[in-house]
Amino acid sequence: MEKNATVTPIAKKTLIGQSVKKPDAPDKATGKTRYINDMVLPQMLIGKVLFAGRPHARIVSIDTSAAEKLPGVYAVLTGKDAAGLKFGFVRDNVALKDKVRCEHDEIAAVAAETEEIASHALELIKVEYEDLPGVFTPEAGALAGAPLVHDNFPGNKSLHFEFKHGDLAAAEAASEFVVDSVFRPHHVTHCCMGTSCAIADFDHNGKLTIWTQTQYPYNYKMDLAPALGINPGDIRVMQPPVGGAFGSKLDVYPYEPIAALLARKTGRPVKVIYSREEEFKAAPTRQAAIIHMRTGCTRDGVLTFRSADVLLDNGAYTSWGPTIPVIMMRTTSGHYRVPVVDFKAQAIYTNNPYAGSFRGYGNVQTTYATAQQMDMLADMVDMDPLEFHLKNAQLSGEVTPQKSFLRECALAECLETAAKASDYSQKRKAYAALRDQPGRYKKGIGLASSIHNAGGAKIHKSDGIGTILKVDDYARVTVITGASEIGQGIDAVITLIVAEELGVPVEHVTIVNNDSDIAPWDVGVHASRTTFIAGNGTRRAAQKAKAQILNAAAKMLNEPADTLELRGGSVVRDQCGTPIIKLDRLLRQMHFQAVPELVMVTDYYEPNSEPEGAKHISDHSAAYSHAVHVAEITVDTLTGEIKVDKVTVAQDVGRVINRMGLEGQIEGGIAIGLGYALSENMRIEKGMLRNPCFRDYKLITAPEMPPLDMHFIESNCAEGPYGAKGISELPTIVIAPAIANALYNATGVRIFNPPMSPETVARAIHETRQAGK
Amino acid sequence: MKSVETEIRFKLNGREVCLKVPVTMKTLAMLRDKLGMTGTKYACGEGECGACTVKIDGKTVNSCLMYAVDCDGREVVTIEGLRTPEGLNPMQQAFVDHGAVQCGFCMPGMIMQADSLVENNPNLTREEAQRGLEGNLCRCTGYTKVLDAVDAVVEAKKCCGRC
Amino acid sequence: MQEITTYLAPRRLDEALQAMADGAATVFCGGTDLAPQTESGVRQYTAKLLNIRRIEGLAGIEVRGDKVRIGAVTTISEIRCSPVLAEIAPVLVEAAEHFASEQIRNAASVGGNLCNASPAGDMSPPLLVLDASVELACWRDGAVQTRQVPLDQFFVSPGKTVKLPQELLTAILFDRPAAGFVGRFRKSGPRPALEISTVSVALGARVADDRLSDVRVAMGSVAPTPLRARHVEAALEGKPLDAATWAATIAAAVAVTAEDAKPIDDVRASAWYRGHLVRVFVEEVLNEVRGN
Repeated sequence: MEKNATVTPIAKKTLIGQSVKKPDAPDKATGKTRYINDMVLPQMLIGKVLFAGRPHARIVSIDTSAAEKLPGVYAVLTGKDAAGLKFGFVRDNVALKDKVRCEHDEIAAVAAETEEIASHALELIKVEYEDLPGVFTPEAGALAGAPLVHDNFPGNKSLHFEFKHGDLAAAEAASEFVVDSVFRPHHVTHCCMGTSCAIADFDHNGKLTIWTQTQYPYNYKMDLAPALGINPGDIRVMQPPVGGAFGSKLDVYPYEPIAALLARKTGRPVKVIYSREEEFKAAPTRQAAIIHMRTGCTRDGVLTFRSADVLLDNGAYTSWGPTIPVIMMRTTSGHYRVPVVDFKAQAIYTNNPYAGSFRGYGNVQTTYATAQQMDMLADMVDMDPLEFHLKNAQLSGEVTPQKSFLRECALAECLETAAKASDYSQKRKAYAALRDQPGRYKKGIGLASSIHNAGGAKIHKSDGIGTILKVDDYARVTVITGASEIGQGIDAVITLIVAEELGVPVEHVTIVNNDSDIAPWDVGVHASRTTFIAGNGTRRAAQKAKAQILNAAAKMLNEPADTLELRGGSVVRDQCGTPIIKLDRLLRQMHFQAVPELVMVTDYYEPNSEPEGAKHISDHSAAYSHAVHVAEITVDTLTGEIKVDKVTVAQDVGRVINRMGLEGQIEGGIAIGLGYALSENMRIEKGMLRNPCFRDYKLITAPEMPPLDMHFIESNCAEGPYGAKGISELPTIVIAPAIANALYNATGVRIFNPPMSPETVARAIHETRQAGK
Repeated sequence: MKSVETEIRFKLNGREVCLKVPVTMKTLAMLRDKLGMTGTKYACGEGECGACTVKIDGKTVNSCLMYAVDCDGREVVTIEGLRTPEGLNPMQQAFVDHGAVQCGFCMPGMIMQADSLVENNPNLTREEAQRGLEGNLCRCTGYTKVLDAVDAVVEAKKCCGRC
Repeated sequence: MQEITTYLAPRRLDEALQAMADGAATVFCGGTDLAPQTESGVRQYTAKLLNIRRIEGLAGIEVRGDKVRIGAVTTISEIRCSPVLAEIAPVLVEAAEHFASEQIRNAASVGGNLCNASPAGDMSPPLLVLDASVELACWRDGAVQTRQVPLDQFFVSPGKTVKLPQELLTAILFDRPAAGFVGRFRKSGPRPALEISTVSVALGARVADDRLSDVRVAMGSVAPTPLRARHVEAALEGKPLDAATWAATIAAAVAVTAEDAKPIDDVRASAWYRGHLVRVFVEEVLNEVRGN
């Protein structure tokens, strides 16, 4: 018991909603952080991949003899070294190929002492190909008699998805207005600043350690093991700091088992790292699609049905691109109140590059369609779009046809907030009136919204997370979490939550989350789930630790545990804030007492959502949320350039936890969405990527980023940590159709095939004017 | 292809360095592979992304395009050379304080360029900062907090002039 | 592949030229073109690598009377920030403003940009409009010999100029424009600068006595080389500035752009769009020049 003369009470303060510095930021700002791309291990060899460079071919012969003889080369592998080791969602891939099915197929791999020697060795490998006719669109791939990409997938048919609810024919008949359009969301790519990289090392017990950029370290083992013919339990996954991910690392891609095969062959660590050109060609893309969508409404503007018939360009192999219909259908059935839904999607194999997950995952593509059709219908009904949206906006407690339970739904509030802050309705009318007046520059304003998972997505058997937390004798906390840090800032959120619960400074919290031998399970960074799921897991673990500490304090101090709190590094009396004992002192007393007690707790949190299920009727997320964007643009009607002047954002975040981190995620998400909307485009011609460089693949740069007016709506999600919901994908999802709607407002031109590049817009305006003559 | 090596001598972050480099080696590779200074990043190798930005005789350049041999007799400053004995330099600290760092991979180049912009123009406006950073690509942040950090450093310099 | 056996970084021009005399030297200054081209394999090194950045006399912007001399190793940044050029040849400064990024501008030399002979080279249209010449030097008969080539005769095809392998481009020369000369530069792209230009147009003319004279129009990215648009110039030469005829003047100039600009389809833009932009830019720069 402390003897005190004067004691200053410690006031109750919360960190929730404040801004917390990202713990790894100082090391990153000084260049001290060692990313996986920077890593060098003793005895490490460099692995390089020989890519096919052609889209569809039989491999007639491979002669590696000259490469093998090159001094400094330690291994040369080809398809025969990976034969039968199939991996992938439908087991249609192998690390080194038996046949060429796309431009970036991996034909051979080399491990050598230096990058220069490895490159030289690749040049010495002689491959004889017999080119085959290819299929480069899903329509072409689906034709009877089309060349087969995989012999065991007849008709080039890949995954198929369907969801129907209600009587479509009746709903069509009851519709006064129906809008019918075809959208062609295009191929874009993640462009992580850190290119793809893996370092693999086998020990002499046959266990693999792989340093990887993976975002899903546990299921990753399950997906990697078959590519190597080993037990998933014999894989240790290490996650060094990475230069971005955005969904590109939610699957196993061939360069990873290649690194492992080379490591196994040579007995030495092998690092495979892509150049930027290789990254453009070989990294997974966003899923391209052809969406034929129809939406109907009554004369009064009440939605009657929405149907979507989707054709997906599967590319050469099935990764997490063609699985996006699982989310596409949620938007189709849940974006506004839709009584009747008819959704079907078919993926068709082609000889094009293939897609993986990418921030927004199918919702980017679908919302580009739904949000524009809402705008088009509003015009047909002759209603202010805001009114039309509000008329069809769900309210808290509603359930969608797929059983998504919108427990706390703030769509209407987001719509009203964004529209009011931007003076949307007035401006829209004013700009529309000026549309046909002479003048080179036209202003436009456009509104779009969407709905997305905000409490995980139970598309795997588990959507949970394990957390282990210990507090040491110096009151320093270690959180061993399954949650991966990929730059999104879960480290800041976790330290904030621990500091909040245990009353310790954020600087006294250490996170361990980069070694699968140590950290417990988590399904991965996807579906905007990490703050929600890991936040809950961390909070639960911290509260267990707190309970243990306060119980010990209560015993020692002879005061009731429920009158005590942890604040400012001390145990305090909750009501008055009087500190009684310093936390570190208490912990040492607990440790060195007759029956020692250390604070080490574990938690496993599984959200109360339902598995997706084959029928897709389930409450598959523990929460859902909405965002509304109002984009204001100026269009140069001669050059077609769109300048985004301002974006007003209203997003239901549940509760703000780390304000600075939240803003950063929204800003960054919008930047990715802006690139999708305006300038990014993979020019794939007959399976070959024509612009594999930043010079010709245009990312958004600093001068192009508009000012953002952000409004955070706090719907206080009952299931979320402190009421928070997941947030990171909606910014990428909503911005493109907001701009498309603004373009229409300004010029009367609607772009169904993004990006809205200057040439595309200039042509469309030119053609509209020609047609008008 | 082998190329001949030559000895160069230059100042690196204030200290004299002397080493032999292949004449076709670029400054980026010299820093990362020969000198173990991995703060400067490879992200494109063709001068399009700015992740490799260093200062040479006070001017920022893409080290992936600069021949290492051309460092001879000159002064090179990398991200590792910005920090002061007291800790992070004001630009680095501002990036941390304003939440400008997410994955951080582009940050060394971004900070080098931002630092140089403010050094050369104490009255840098936000628009000038945007133009000045157009050669630095970032995929995480949308640049907004980067520009906030730059604004803050400009303001602080005006205020006390000692930063 | 060629093995490099010699590296030189001479300080004297005669030394450099002697090393180049056998025509087998690869020259660089900032490296902003040589580095990516050799990395990607579109260009090969020769046995001798020659760094010309330290050669005395190749740097600097000099004005003597009416003669302007820009040393070949002058960087784009130095052009952009030159108070002398801002006063005498603002069209050149305007092009430097829109050239790539600051990091590239700090390293790239104007001589290198011209010798790279890209149809999209940003320094070419303004220099063509300034009626510039390049000075080429070589070592012959035991001495430094120079010759001058007008810039509009310098480019042959993409990547190729009339410069011989043993020659070094040492300076860019032009006469101070006459009083009343106005020049403007326009380049395409939503980004202010970091673009290989899809199209660029520069226009310079003497604006006096209410008409345009000594009209020079140059275009980039619409032909195998940067070029002087002679048909457009002819359509503008001597034309009055008064409001009554101006619209017709513009229309006439725009109508003949297709005689000069022969753009192609490529991954960056279609021929249609390039042709369209040329017409838009010609009208823009004309209005800007008249507005002055």
